Amino acid sequence: MFKKIIDNSMAKSPWIYHINTGSCNGCDIELVSVITPRYDAERMGFKLTGTPRHADIVVVSGPVTSQSKERLVRTLAQVPEPRVIVSLGSCPRPCNVFKGSYSVEGPLDKFCEVDVSVAGCTPKPEAIIDGLALAAQILKEKRRQK
Amino acid sequence: MGLPFIKEAITQLFSKPSTEKYPLVKKEVSDGFRGKLVFHPELCINCGMCMRVCAPQAITRTIEKTEEGDRITMEFHMGSCTFCSMCADFCSKNSIELSKEYSMVVTNEDDLKVRGSFIKKAPPKKELSPEQLAKLKAAKAAKDGKAEEEFDSCPDA
Repeated sequence: MFKKIIDNSMAKSPWIYHINTGSCNGCDIELVSVITPRYDAERMGFKLTGTPRHADIVVVSGPVTSQSKERLVRTLAQVPEPRVIVSLGSCPRPCNVFKGSYSVEGPLDKFCEVDVSVAGCTPKPEAIIDGLALAAQILKEKRRQK
Repeated sequence: MGLPFIKEAITQLFSKPSTEKYPLVKKEVSDGFRGKLVFHPELCINCGMCMRVCAPQAITRTIEKTEEGDRITMEFHMGSCTFCSMCADFCSKNSIELSKEYSMVVTNEDDLKVRGSFIKKAPPKKELSPEQLAKLKAAKAAKDGKAEEEFDSCPDA
């Protein structure tokens, strides 16, 4: 019974962990604006956490640079399953203008499975809310399968 | 003296919250917003200018040869786009347009690609008159004969 209560409440409040892998800060600022009173994603239960161990949804912004690659892999290893990975903006997946750079370690798909990608450079906060809503839905389905 | 800010406190108490009701009320974007790209293949002339000016190389072109002419497919990858609007600015035929659609959320990256294809016909072949043909033939024969002569005169051959 307790497990059911916990599952239900966890589905209603997915916690977000944000990792910057060499982003220009544009997407990071937009993600922060999503949790400000104007857009207020917290009314839908999303909450920014400080540690990957508490996270359900991981938001990755920026092309994966050589410096951040190891940190990304190490951080993702700490996120408990089931997890949903959201790629924010144009950078993480096709690398945007940085593709082919000597210090960019290719797309994010190399290191993990990406579930949702939000396009835009940078995406509007409304688009990020849509993306997070989709991520929460996917998370629910993943939990059910487990 | 009274309580300070009492008027402000009362007006704030009855005012609307500043939070936007986004998923319930769709938001209108301002003019000049650069959102998802719209491609009009019927206007495109395949000059390739958009591909040249695209910084993230988000535009690809594939050319297939068909009976009617070359079938040209332009593919715009919105997942890789910076929305700088350079392609639309440089398009001489205004076949590229940036719409006001901002919500591009997908699970599969291929859904972000905007495609458009059209057929570009090759210019019709010129019909030559018999005299012109004869002239061409004579010129060709003369050239061949010259080449043969040179070949014969080569000592190693």
